Amino acid sequence: MNKSWKSYQSGDFFDELITPKGQPRVAARQAVKLLQSLPAEEMNARRAAAELAIKEMGISFTVYTEGGNIDRAWPFDIIPRVIPAKDWAAVSTGLIQRSRALNCFIDDIYNAQSILKDGVVPAEIVLDSPNYRPECAGISPRYGVWAHICGSDLVRAADGRFYVLEDNLRVPSGVSYMVENREITKRVLPELFENYSILPVDDYPSRLYKTLASLSPRDIKRPCVVVLTPGIYNSAYFEHAFLAQGMGAELVEGSDLFVDDSDTVYMRTVDGPVHVDVIYRRIDEDFMDPEVFREDSTLGVPGLMRAWKAGKVAIANAPGAGVADDKVVYAYVPDMIRYYLKEEPLIESVPTYLCMRKDDRDYVLKNLKDLVVKPANESGGYGIMVGPHSTKAVHRKFAKLIKENPRNYIAQPTLSLSTAPTYIDDSVQPRHLDLRPFILQGKDSWVTPGGLTRVALVKGSLVVNSSQGGGSKDTWIVEGKK
Amino acid sequence: MTMLSRVAERLYWMARYLERAEDTARLVMAYQHIIMDIPKGSEPGWDVLLSILDANPVFNERYRAANEQNVLKFLIADLDNVSSIPSSIKAARENVRTTRDVLPEEAWEMVNELHLYVQEKSETSVGRRNRHAFLEHVISRCQMINGLLMSNLSRDHSYRFIKLGRLLERSDMITRVIDVGAGDILEREGAFEAIDPLLWGALLQGLSAMGAYRRAVGPLVEKNAVVEFVFSEQMFPRSVRFCLSGIREELGPLRANKDALRVVERARRKLRRFDPNVATREELHRFIDSFQLTLNDLSAVITDTWFQPE
Repeated sequence: MNKSWKSYQSGDFFDELITPKGQPRVAARQAVKLLQSLPAEEMNARRAAAELAIKEMGISFTVYTEGGNIDRAWPFDIIPRVIPAKDWAAVSTGLIQRSRALNCFIDDIYNAQSILKDGVVPAEIVLDSPNYRPECAGISPRYGVWAHICGSDLVRAADGRFYVLEDNLRVPSGVSYMVENREITKRVLPELFENYSILPVDDYPSRLYKTLASLSPRDIKRPCVVVLTPGIYNSAYFEHAFLAQGMGAELVEGSDLFVDDSDTVYMRTVDGPVHVDVIYRRIDEDFMDPEVFREDSTLGVPGLMRAWKAGKVAIANAPGAGVADDKVVYAYVPDMIRYYLKEEPLIESVPTYLCMRKDDRDYVLKNLKDLVVKPANESGGYGIMVGPHSTKAVHRKFAKLIKENPRNYIAQPTLSLSTAPTYIDDSVQPRHLDLRPFILQGKDSWVTPGGLTRVALVKGSLVVNSSQGGGSKDTWIVEGKK
Repeated sequence: MTMLSRVAERLYWMARYLERAEDTARLVMAYQHIIMDIPKGSEPGWDVLLSILDANPVFNERYRAANEQNVLKFLIADLDNVSSIPSSIKAARENVRTTRDVLPEEAWEMVNELHLYVQEKSETSVGRRNRHAFLEHVISRCQMINGLLMSNLSRDHSYRFIKLGRLLERSDMITRVIDVGAGDILEREGAFEAIDPLLWGALLQGLSAMGAYRRAVGPLVEKNAVVEFVFSEQMFPRSVRFCLSGIREELGPLRANKDALRVVERARRKLRRFDPNVATREELHRFIDSFQLTLNDLSAVITDTWFQPE
């Protein structure tokens, strides 16, 4: 028996596995019981086995690091996070609702703009956003879907409820780790699986293929789907290769594709040009087509936008989808759900203060020490100020930034992110976490069972990004006991 | 299942670079034998290796004397020399890195390991003491990788372009090795009569052809018979003829193969018409020169047709 379980205390936070009274939650009971029975040496051995497995599976990930690259080994905690299936079902429905509304919004913005005309969302915050692409106006992709793959970040607050923290609609990444984490747990803690029925996650690539194939402009049995990568030096290349292989699709670079006079996209193969139907692009839209966006881009395909506009090729996510991926626009998602779907939001957003509004701004400036301030357009956890964890000097710096450019900042209350037992050194300690499920939308909608749980390995830290000391956990959605 | 041109090109070059590393190692090993066997004073210089590899200009840019130390450093430890063993292995690795998904899983690991080994050991393997072990290791690893590919790869485009690259590079290197016996070192006809059998024996060793030669031709090692054997022996996988047949066979199923097949036929015709028994050393040398140009043409046609089509 590992003693540290006995003294485990998560304080005021919601803990994913352990109740405030120190008892395992129902869904986690079997797993916790087994983990408790493992002495420290055994836990260390399992952790070492996990590290080895990561090294083996992730060799690709570390060898690309010559010359002090950004990639590191992926820190993984062997204690899984367990969520009951019935709780998850509600979250899942809420996510699909949200993704539908976001897609309605994007489609509306590039076409009728009725939500702006009706004054539900202020026009200037959308049309002046750098993520609004005038080049996309007038286009309506198949099914009206622009963001086919959405990675939404969820947090669980002290009340035990899930909140959406942000929606990533451009090129969300991390799904390969969701699949790999399960693989690792199966290898190093196989006993855990005995008493559970856990929803599988490894069919993600085939789900993705189905979604992408449903977008094909040509009605053929096996449309040609490709994954467009910026290349080996991109930090997510591992994932690009993983998904391409999982879908049986070609992993292409910009130079492998060309667009002919009929606006058809082809890939260059040894059997001659092959007609491409769907492009899962993992390059930023700025680099996608030098004819339209950045001229100096060598990663893109000249003419790709022409082909897309002509409806000859589907691109996922569609260029321009990022217009809804803005922390100011985020604040309006509940209104979008009511406006487009005539429904009440099933999953909550975090209350958000928009510094562009005078009242909100005054409140934010007065309460900097209690709030989290975020730039509207950054990802990866950069440029964020966590008020309670920052010094007065940092508060002053952000006050200045906000006054200079109010449109670019939002603030949210500091959330008490939920915790889960995490194996640190030789003991089990609470660490904060979030969750990134992936929502697929094409002809049909689908949500990953669970998603990628990211955990802040530093004690008390709320920042889970892997670029800033975060790790990850396997995430289980479990059905009632067998 | 088709294949991206870029992927095909990378596989082709991976195979060429691996073959180049292996053959360079063989060449250095064989040449070292010659140098050790030939009586002091009459042995040819180390610069011969440079002319075989067409590397004189690059070498002269950075080194002064073409002595043993410098030439060996240039060939087995110099990353600035693009055709050195470490450069070839590095280039092979770069090509495997982005084509891992079409190769057996172990291929990347093996090539990566070899790369790390060469990085670590090449500096200290320039001297005679460690050189032999180093070269042997490089050769045996390359053979392992080839064996892995031969026994595990589906006979589709990936195998095809790997084989094309390997056989083209091999034909090129075989003729270069023969050129040792024909070209620069033996400018004066008959100057090395006494050591001729030693020389040709070493060259056969370098091509891993000694055993096969003995069985097919007999125990006597003699220039014309050796040249004929490594050029035209039908059954021996390291003969030029065998390589050309393999190339023709792999080109067969490819789309738009007319131009490439035409160049292969030209090479085969050239080889058929060359008779080592009547050619002087000078003629042999000129033949090899012109034959290598044909091989260059073939590589250019392959590139234009399948890797960088209009």
